Amino acid sequence: MTTQIDVDFLPAEGAVVRLIGLVERRGYELDAMNYVPAPGTHRLSMVVRPRPGPRRIETLKAQIARLYGVTSVSEMSAVPRLEAAS
Amino acid sequence: MTAASPATLNSRTDARSGAQLVIDALEHEGVRRVFGYPGGAIMPVYDALTASSLKHILVRHEQAAALAADAWARVTGEPGVCLATSGPGATNLVTGLANAFMDCVPMVAITGQVASPLMGTDAFQEIDTFGITLPVVKHSWLVRDAADIPDIFAEAFRFARSGRPGPVLIDLPKDVTQANVTVPRALACRTAARAVFPLDAKALAAADRLIASARRPVLYFGGGIALGQAEGALRAFFQRSRIPAVATLKGLGALPTDWPGFLGMLGMHGTRAANTAVNDCDLLICVGARFDDRATGRLDSFAANARVIHIDGDAAEISKLRKADVALAGDVSAILSALSGETGEIEGWRRTCAENAERWAFRYDAPGSGVYAPALLKQISAAAGDSFIATCDVGQHQMWVAQHCRFSRPQAHLTSAGLGTMGYGLPAGIGAALAEPDATVVTISGDGSIMMNIQELATLRRYRIPLKIVLIDNAQLGMVRQWQELFYEENFSEVDLWDNPDFAELARAFGIEAFTLDRRADVPGAVERLLSTRGPVLCHVRIDPRENVWPLVPPGKSNSDMMEA
Ligand SMILES: Cc1ncc(C[n+]2csc(CCOP(=O)(O)OP(=O)(O)O)c2C)c(N)n1
Repeated sequence: MTTQIDVDFLPAEGAVVRLIGLVERRGYELDAMNYVPAPGTHRLSMVVRPRPGPRRIETLKAQIARLYGVTSVSEMSAVPRLEAAS
Repeated sequence: MTAASPATLNSRTDARSGAQLVIDALEHEGVRRVFGYPGGAIMPVYDALTASSLKHILVRHEQAAALAADAWARVTGEPGVCLATSGPGATNLVTGLANAFMDCVPMVAITGQVASPLMGTDAFQEIDTFGITLPVVKHSWLVRDAADIPDIFAEAFRFARSGRPGPVLIDLPKDVTQANVTVPRALACRTAARAVFPLDAKALAAADRLIASARRPVLYFGGGIALGQAEGALRAFFQRSRIPAVATLKGLGALPTDWPGFLGMLGMHGTRAANTAVNDCDLLICVGARFDDRATGRLDSFAANARVIHIDGDAAEISKLRKADVALAGDVSAILSALSGETGEIEGWRRTCAENAERWAFRYDAPGSGVYAPALLKQISAAAGDSFIATCDVGQHQMWVAQHCRFSRPQAHLTSAGLGTMGYGLPAGIGAALAEPDATVVTISGDGSIMMNIQELATLRRYRIPLKIVLIDNAQLGMVRQWQELFYEENFSEVDLWDNPDFAELARAFGIEAFTLDRRADVPGAVERLLSTRGPVLCHVRIDPRENVWPLVPPGKSNSDMMEA
């Protein structure tokens, strides 16, 4: 089951790498992502899938939320996985 | 949510170099000591350092700078500061950063970097410090403009301390520290106030109800007590509730370990009384602990029949591995103080726990005339009293310290719990002894571990730091040997350290007083000599290489499956 996590954060050097790195290190596969720079906060939307193990999306969200410069973390559940046509 | 009060660093309008601004910022943060090692890219900062009030400790390896800063921070509660050059200086810091990250120790690491125009060109001693350290810091900054230095440093110190503390890193390209900038405005530095969290009244009431209805409650606490400066609240809660308590490796000392009702450390090398209590409990009150696998053994059988109240300063820890029935995230001290601590009828349970503690108490009557390390360690901590601070390395000796020493405060037990860093003990001893000069700081190391940072004997000598080193020498990588004996059918592979140097001679070569202890009858005299020597001293203790640490929960097993000798 995949989950879409939307993260709003203050732009800073390395911020996107830090976010992606955290998601991967905490045992999630990154299925897709979309990055939208905007005035003020930027938004990174990530579709994530847990690898086997005791993983809760709530924990991942809280771990993201404690990163420096993150202003909000929200979740959309059960995103259907898009398979490539061939 | 951190309230912040603006303060003024200075109102200079004259030109300052980036390096001077670094020193200004450190002084403004009240930093007294920095641990470091110079080199090309950080030279402007070392140049500015000589005119400052900061005391620099020149270690002999950057890893030791980070580990000493870690211990300094654990003892003082203030971020430790370490300094290194670019490239190998920075990579040598990484283990120390990871150590601090895993154990939530506030630290500010400052690294030099090649000049900005050279970055990305594989310049001499260029390495992507920012990238290499990303997974082991709370946050990092690559400074692009010298004028940003005051704000970045203020933020760095604030963030290292705040919430779940941890290490942060500031990478300083050489052109930035060399640049002269005029800082026209008063430099706005912010001094962090302690975060204020509202208490969750509903969750508190639910916790009170669970505590009142439990028949076999257990208080399970960890390193979060010291992080939240919650020893006072923990002790008060323990005393008013009289609930039997167990600690993780990092929790030791938050309750004095000789208090009745405290059952000892739980987990892999925990006491049988502690593990049995957790196994049998119907309510687990977890405070500032994180259900680490070394503590829980097989998670699905850990306190399998218990409800869980989880109290932590970090919301991300709650229900991470074990679902909490009641979750209380916030100021651990305030939460503990707000709990009524009223229990139901638990006298029978308390008695059972006390009887178990007595029945399974450690014994010190091992046969033979050789030195029995657990008894030696117990005697050292007893003789040192409340001023005792132990800094450990990693292995069997580390577990013996946790099992047998007396700790009366969390700062008394400095150990690399999360990362398990061999080589922590000696630099940590340096950091602790400088942080609390009146304490009796004892580094307990193994013959494997000490060699990981043996060069720091030179630092001890240079600054005449009165550290006591107890080197438990079994001529083995003992903990690995124990596992090979028990779980790899005695297929001993690369654990024999038969060719160790003569450690007492080695210490003397560094200018440090040293003596060897190998007979049990000589233990009292050795303890006396160790503690009464004014300067640094190393006691080289030879023990039986076949000694094991007991009890032991085999990896992947339930805490109820404890093995004994
Ligand atoms: C840097 C590092 N490398 C390897 C290990 C794995 N390890 C854990 S305990 C241990 C043996 C430690 O030997 P020693 O310091 O002599 O202590 P003893 O177990 O004999 O008391 C090893 C190799 C580690 N924890 N840290």
